[in-house]
Amino acid sequence: MLTIDAKNVDFYYSEFHALKNISLEVEKNKVVALIGPSGCGKSTFLRLLNRMNDLIPGTRMTGSVLFEGEDIYAPNVHVDELRKKVGMVFQKPNPFPKTIFENVAYGLRVNGIKDETFIEQRVVESIKSAALWDEVKDKMKKSAFALSGGQQQRLCIARALAISPKVVLMDEPASALDPISTAKIEELIYELKKDYTIIIVTHNMQQASRVSDKTAYFYLGEMIEFDETTKIFTNPKEHSTQNYVTGRFG
Amino acid sequence: MTPIIQAKNTDKRKRYSQAVAFTVFKLMSYSVVAILFFILGFIIVRGIGVISWDFLTKAPEEGMTKGGIFPAIIGTLCLVAGSSIFSFPIGIMSGIYMNEYAAGSKVATFIRIMTNNLSGVPSVVFGLFGMALFVNTMKFGDSILAGSLTLGLLSLPLVIRTTEESLKAIDNSYREGSLALGATKLQTIQKVVLPMAFPNIITGLILSIGRVSGETAPILFTVAAYFLPKLPTSIFNQVMALPYHLYVISTSGTNVEASRGIAYGTALVLIVIVLLVNLLANFLRNYFSKKVKTN
Repeated sequence: MLTIDAKNVDFYYSEFHALKNISLEVEKNKVVALIGPSGCGKSTFLRLLNRMNDLIPGTRMTGSVLFEGEDIYAPNVHVDELRKKVGMVFQKPNPFPKTIFENVAYGLRVNGIKDETFIEQRVVESIKSAALWDEVKDKMKKSAFALSGGQQQRLCIARALAISPKVVLMDEPASALDPISTAKIEELIYELKKDYTIIIVTHNMQQASRVSDKTAYFYLGEMIEFDETTKIFTNPKEHSTQNYVTGRFG
Repeated sequence: MTPIIQAKNTDKRKRYSQAVAFTVFKLMSYSVVAILFFILGFIIVRGIGVISWDFLTKAPEEGMTKGGIFPAIIGTLCLVAGSSIFSFPIGIMSGIYMNEYAAGSKVATFIRIMTNNLSGVPSVVFGLFGMALFVNTMKFGDSILAGSLTLGLLSLPLVIRTTEESLKAIDNSYREGSLALGATKLQTIQKVVLPMAFPNIITGLILSIGRVSGETAPILFTVAAYFLPKLPTSIFNQVMALPYHLYVISTSGTNVEASRGIAYGTALVLIVIVLLVNLLANFLRNYFSKKVKTN
């Protein structure tokens, strides 16, 4: 079964037609990169998959998005249940003003888990999966704000992993980070795809080609091309895709 | 190439006007501080002489020309507490509603315009309204209850506004981060947004206390007693209050001249209370903004 199956999605910010008839299928445990120039709709599309756009007033969507066969925009869907299964990492690291431990425990606590032994175990596992354990194991009770930007972003990844999502959406997760932190995040994505399906928005061509199995190229609200990453970067069907990935525009 | 140190005439002129501008701005801001110190100094010099343990702990005597102001201090504290019980919960909940649930909606805009209008209403009008509604219609009589409700109404716009502004200052990325983990809106508000906004909210609350403790007109027709040496025993009692006591002994006491020293002493006590309240606000803000990062 497909993990994500978007069919004929159109999306509007008031009058602005931001996404035009997008259909995209994502298989389990694959990494899909969404690329394209600023304003092309790739982040908007990403935020449709965990219904983050619901928070923006005046938006409208047609078409359907299926997650493991279920329509996530059906009227009886509980958005918080969906977001437990489809986690998200944002562009700017946004740890809560809490301790490192409580940041990662947050998702468990708000979802009603009370068992402290289980919480502790999940927190440690998640921080290890996010390749952050060695750096923070001695300061779990310290404020997350004391961490560097790159560490904060890995903490946010750990936070997303703690509630065991099926899909992790990443919205330019490394764009605010230095090259070393970026490399760490990329390695991490490579590790994570064993257990998770990942959809990542990125402006960085090398990053897309390094981490993803498939790449979708968006331009002006349309999905121009969606194919194996190697094909998109070496032998794209569309001229526009070729121009973008080779850096001739965008 | 022109050497940097040999600036042209036009450059001299722009540097000159810059220096003049900064000097003027600096003088203006210093003069504000000077005025404040002048008022404080004036009150302290005139009032310090009558301050004593007895002044703070005894009731007025001999037509309010002797004795202390203890009932007025207690009265003011009662009114501050009473109005806070009323205005804090309502104001904070309204502020949360306006910023977190109805942000940008017509309802929120309407409430905002109305609260702005409310804060522009002269305080004596609040007094008249409080008398008409609480004292007469609801039959609370001249009482702590009526006075507290009137003062609560007066401070409500300030509480709503500071709550709303404090919440607005919290970056949306924190809300999204919480919601993306499957938290509900209410959980997000309780566990992330409110703790972050708390230091600023509490500052607003305490400043509203400062405002309430100094108001005279709203309590004039709703609670304040001209002379009442007894302490209140119920919320339906009248009380004396510092600002009104100050007004009474300065204008319509039995012997205005003889009460002059006590008037300055009362003013000093009132100012010190408001200053302490403001210092407390600063302290709590710093304390909670440190604490919130590691809770």
